[in-house]
Formats: sequence, C-alpha cells, structure tokens
Amino acid sequence: MKCSDVERVVPELLDGAPDGALESGDAAFQADLETHLKSCTACADLVSDLKLIASEARQLAASEEPAPRVWVRIAAELRAEGLIREPESAPTQPILIPTSARPSLGQRWTSTAWWLAPVAAALVAAGSYVVSHRPVPQVAKQQAPATAVTSPAAVTSPAPETAAAPSPAVPTPAPQRLAQKSAKATGTVASAARPAVEAAPSDEDQQFLSVVSTLAPATRATYENELQAVNADIRETQAYVNRNPGDVDARQHLMEAYQQKALLYQIALDRIQ
Amino acid sequence: MTDPKERITEAEAIEQAKQGHEAAFEVLYHLHKRRVYSLCLRMVSNPAQAEDLAQEAFLQLFRKISTFRGESAFSTWLHRMTVNVVLMQLRKKGLPVVSLEETLEADDDAPRKEFGTRDVKLTGAVDRLQLQRAIDKLPPGYRTVFVLHDIEGFEHNEIAQMVGCSIGNSKSQLHKARLKLRDYLKFMRAEKAKTG
Repeated sequence: MKCSDVERVVPELLDGAPDGALESGDAAFQADLETHLKSCTACADLVSDLKLIASEARQLAASEEPAPRVWVRIAAELRAEGLIREPESAPTQPILIPTSARPSLGQRWTSTAWWLAPVAAALVAAGSYVVSHRPVPQVAKQQAPATAVTSPAAVTSPAPETAAAPSPAVPTPAPQRLAQKSAKATGTVASAARPAVEAAPSDEDQQFLSVVSTLAPATRATYENELQAVNADIRETQAYVNRNPGDVDARQHLMEAYQQKALLYQIALDRIQ
Repeated sequence: MTDPKERITEAEAIEQAKQGHEAAFEVLYHLHKRRVYSLCLRMVSNPAQAEDLAQEAFLQLFRKISTFRGESAFSTWLHRMTVNVVLMQLRKKGLPVVSLEETLEADDDAPRKEFGTRDVKLTGAVDRLQLQRAIDKLPPGYRTVFVLHDIEGFEHNEIAQMVGCSIGNSKSQLHKARLKLRDYLKFMRAEKAKTG
C-alpha cells in the first residue's frame, strides 16, 4: 500500500462513511491499511492530526457568547413589530421582570447603583488599556488599581444551585460552559493558566450580586449566569494574553469581554431604574 | 436558589411566545443564543456581522413561531434557519459559499511539507484560540463546509442540499479544509516554538 492510497481514503477513515475500499468485506485492504499506518509515520501523523482537528472542532459549537445588546435589539424589534403583546410592567412569568412594580426596590437600587456607571466606564477603560499597551508587566500593574474589575470572579453558591435546579428542559448556560471547560484537560487556552480554585468575587461583583439578589429568582439567576460567563471569558483570555502579550487578536477579544461586562452592568442598571 | 415554579420548559416557552409573552421569547433566546451566535461567528469570522446575523435568525424564528408544530426539534428548526440566514448573507455579498470544483486535484491531495514544520506534530492538543484563528483564515468555501460538518454536525447530504453542491463536492471541500487547517496549525506551532 502506498501513501497515496491512504490519503485517498482518509476522509472515509475520519467520517466513517462507507467507501468501496473500506467495506467490511475488504478485509485485505483493511489489514494493509493498518500495516501501513504502523510503519509510515507521515501517514499515521496525518490521520491522527486530522482526527484531532475534527474532534477539537466539535468543542467550538456553542462556544461563543453574544453581547447582551443582541437580545436588547431583538426585543426592541419584536415590540416594534407587535409580536410582543403584553405590557412590560405586567409579566406573567417572572423570568426577567421590570421593576416598575417595586418602587421601594428601585429607590434602594438608585441609592446604591450610582457606582455602576463609573465602574462600567472603568471596565471599558481597562480593556482599552490592555489592548493598547504591549508589555505584560505594565498590563498586570495597570490592572492592579482596577482589581475590582479585573480580578477573577466567581459567582457564589446561588449560580451553581441555580444550575442544579430540577428542570432538565431548561439547561443553564454558565454551568454547562464551566463543565465543558473542566472536561477539557489539555490544549485549551485556559487549561494552563486556570487557577485550581475560582477566586472570590471582586467587590464590585459582590455589590452587583447583592443588588440583583433582590430580584426574582429566575431574573437573578440570569444576571448571575451572565456575570459568571463574562468573568470566565475575561479570566481565560487574560491568562492567554499574559502568555502571549504580542497577540493583538487576543487583546482585542479581552477588550470586548470587558465591554460586555460593562454592558451587563449597564443593562442591569437600566432595568432596575 | 431558583424557584422551580418560576422556570418554564422550552415547550411552555414556545407556547407562550406564540401568545406574545416577552419573557418566553427571552427564555428561548437564552437557551439557544450560544449555538446560533457561534455558528454565525464561525461562518463569517466577524463578531459584529455575527451579531447581526444571530439577531436576524432569532427574529425570523420568532416571526414564524406560530407555525411551529413540533414535528421536529425546535433546536433543529432554529439551527437550519440560522444556516440559511448566513448563507443568504454570503450569497448577497457575492462571497463563494462553496467551491464549484468537483474533483480533487493531485497537488491538493499530497500532505504539505512546510519548511520548518516537518517535525512539528499536532498530536496531544490543539490550542482553541489557534484553531479559531486558523478557521478564520480558511477560504470561505472551505470554511462553510468545515463549520457545518465538523463544528455543527451536519451530514454531507444536508450540507449539499443547503449550499447547493454535490455530496462529493462537500466531502472534497471538507478534506481540503482539514488539510489547510493542519498546515496553519503546524505553522503557528512552529512559529511559537521559534519565538519560545
């Protein structure tokens, strides 16, 4: 068997589709193929590499999180087209509810949420600084004054418990993402740099969580999950950028992650006020 | 802790969305947003465009939700709708959805021997960001088939129907895409090894 024979059947080897040469009746071909792969490093590496690429590609499905603004735009369009036929102030299912029915909560939020706008601005500024400044030590040092917004943050117990709530028809995105990441032992961006234990939430995240904790449970869970997802993204990308300071794409991605977090704060603020 | 009474199933959300409940639309959106957006992003390699396409896919879904009768899985319906939205956008822009070539050329079949990458192996692990970057570099036709097959899990007969090519062409494009990705990844790994 020649290498060209192997290359011809590689697609069928990878995809398992029946092929004339690989039908179960052609045992001799199968045997020749196995013998060749054992003796030819180039062909063995080719098959192995292509299998690895195909299997790693599957991990990319549903791996990206859209910015919160996507839902905001969708909801606005649905209202404009009249597809939403209930007033915002009278929800029937408290998945995410506006706070018009809770004036006292709104007053409390307003008195404590003044910090959200400057924090959101600080997040974007921190992200911009990361993208524009190359050396790693400066990035790390610059982020130090804004530790509240850059330190790895983990949602405390409510989110995992939320994820474990018995409703198999409604999977929770953030725990799935975390479960996927913990299952990928090697080769991922975060695997080398992910801390063994999730760090405690930053002060700003703690305040954000304490405020959203006063919302309806399902609403609170949504905000907690979004925060967890964006913090995980920041953490992983930051670790990658630390290892690869010259990677402009990664720094851009990190800035976008900061922007998403700022937007999350802003959306929460807009919703409550 | 989330009150189980306040969580609804996908089936309930679909029925409530048909009646115009915003919360139900939002539930459906959050359930499927990552799959939809990731698909769009992989296909067009541009986050802003991917957001627009994801938005359009969900809007089309929600506009037609009253017609959903449950014959197939909701996610399958949404998935196909998303692919159609993206392919339509690519065609509008005049970008090749898939190459028209039907046969493998001899040169493309042979494993590439990039200088400096001969001894670089991929075995063991593939860096996810590098893989994403490599996919972004693929020519649009290769990328479409690779994304639909290896990432999204469509079969070649489904891909052929969606993009308007033959099954053989779909397989050919996929094979070439994987070979190119292998080359890109080995090159990136070799470059990284050089810089330390």
